Amino acid sequence: MSDPNATNPHSEVVSTPAADELVSLTPAEIGMSGAVILGERQQARRENWRLIRRRPAFIVGVFIVLVWVVCAVFGQSIAPHHAFDEYTTGHLSPRAGYPFGTDEIGRDVLSRVIVGARDVLKVAPLGALLGVLLGVLLGMVMGYLGGWIDLVLSRIVEAFLALPVVLVALLAIATLGSGTWVVISVVAALFTPIVARTVRAAVIAERDLDYVTSAKLRGESSGFIMFREILPNVMGPIIVELTVRIGYAVFVVATLAFLGAGPQAPSPDWGRQVSDAYNSISAGIWWTTVFPAAAIASLVIAVNLIADSVQSVLEGS
Amino acid sequence: MRRYLLKRLLSALITLWLLATVIFLIVNVIPGDVGRRVLGPFALKEDVARYNHDLGIDRPLINQYITSMRRLFTLDFGHSFQTKQLVSKMIFPALFRSGKLALLAFVLTIPISIAAGIFTARRQDKLADRAVVNVGLATSSIPEFATAAVLMSVFCVHWRFGHVFADPPPGTSVIGQLRYLLMPALAMAIAYFGYIARMSRAGVIQGLQSDYARTATMKGLSSGAVMRKHILRNSLAPTITVISVSVGYLFGGIIGVEKVFNYHGLGSVMLTAVTSHDIPVLQGAVLLVGIVYMISTLAADVLIAYLNPRVRLEGTR
Repeated sequence: MSDPNATNPHSEVVSTPAADELVSLTPAEIGMSGAVILGERQQARRENWRLIRRRPAFIVGVFIVLVWVVCAVFGQSIAPHHAFDEYTTGHLSPRAGYPFGTDEIGRDVLSRVIVGARDVLKVAPLGALLGVLLGVLLGMVMGYLGGWIDLVLSRIVEAFLALPVVLVALLAIATLGSGTWVVISVVAALFTPIVARTVRAAVIAERDLDYVTSAKLRGESSGFIMFREILPNVMGPIIVELTVRIGYAVFVVATLAFLGAGPQAPSPDWGRQVSDAYNSISAGIWWTTVFPAAAIASLVIAVNLIADSVQSVLEGS
Repeated sequence: MRRYLLKRLLSALITLWLLATVIFLIVNVIPGDVGRRVLGPFALKEDVARYNHDLGIDRPLINQYITSMRRLFTLDFGHSFQTKQLVSKMIFPALFRSGKLALLAFVLTIPISIAAGIFTARRQDKLADRAVVNVGLATSSIPEFATAAVLMSVFCVHWRFGHVFADPPPGTSVIGQLRYLLMPALAMAIAYFGYIARMSRAGVIQGLQSDYARTATMKGLSSGAVMRKHILRNSLAPTITVISVSVGYLFGGIIGVEKVFNYHGLGSVMLTAVTSHDIPVLQGAVLLVGIVYMISTLAADVLIAYLNPRVRLEGTR
């Protein structure tokens, strides 16, 4: 690691576009004093980003996630063998040529693990993103409008939180079927109340600040105040929530795949592979289960390392 | 104290009612014909109609809702579609079996997690602390079924310790049963270690920085006595809360663990119900988990109120 005080010439270049996207120009901020506030905010973001990047846990997490993203994007073209072809008669233990061994019908486990990255990396982030978007919307409304809407919605959110996500997901899947889009929407729907609760708390902390009052006096609409005034100021908790939710979505999607929802039989999806192979562990064939299980573990841990780093810096724990 | 308890009980009942409503909505208001979706496109019209009639979804929604609420408070969940048995006769014994597994998991994890919390809090930000915290973060983010599969490969098959099938034969002694349940319980214990250790660490750190701890140290108590008599009692509250919440969430992970170890608990009943679209069983089981969660959080609140007079007095003011 380099000296923390040294300025890295690349850091400005890399972080500026991301920081710019997060800054919204509101009428209140235009003008002399506005420019100062804007500059400060941007500087704080750049500083946070620099602190996050310096954390070893973040670097390790990003590295592992990138490896899996590369596998997901290129899939078959970087796999040593074809994921669906049968190369050997029966299973072979790990050896040269087949470092992860082959499964009961002779398919290469390493290639299947590489190709299988795509399913979970498609479904989990999409479900988490959708859930966070809906949760932000709901949490904004609950926190800003308050009153009986907030009271009723809060109780419903609380009821939702009383159940493990995997359980409600199973209930929904039993009545809706187990397609990919069902899994995505169920994950999103179940994350919505959790995200909403976080966003609601953050919005309530902002609601009575001067900038909101002055926006009200200017006669801005509720929608404008919520999404142009308050939203930029609660981006921190939302980003934390998004990274945490992606990690948890991988967890839920993999578990649901193992339990039978999502990709079906010949699919090399990791949870599905474990589900197809775990029965042969007792016969001593461990590699068909352990490698996809380890792949799931490594991805979840990596995403959580990133989430934890982001959380530590943004929430200062 | 009594007033606090009544208030808490009332809010638990309201949440439970909302929870039952949410479950009712998931099963009943999802658009489309449940019978048609369950039986498939080739089923006879009469079969679909009969299925819907058995499910009761051909009745007016309000009647169905009243029935399902009555069932909630009488714990009568109707009959299974598949086995025609009473749902309660299926889910209560299964809950008992899962409860044994869960209890063992908690017995394994709670003392170690709290000890780890104290150990790391005293060495905050030193190497040992960072190591334990990161290991905890990693193990608690891996889905339980993946941990279970790896444990099974390593211990049950490679080292021939423990059993691949966790169902003990009838008549096994309590000690004998432990041997069967140890590995699946360990898989869950590993998942909860991180959460509980993290909470108790945070609680102890807060206690160590508090004025009362400083006073106790100043008056000459040894650091062990300060920890035992002052800090632990105060820092226990967040730990108790996270344990009680895990009791509910445990049933999300237990499904995967029971599947890997072929254990016939509530998770296995639910999974069978999902694959056979046995909605009354699934609905009853999910509701039962909700009730267990309510009871455990209620018990935790009572325990916290007992430990900390400030909590119970707040209600009377």
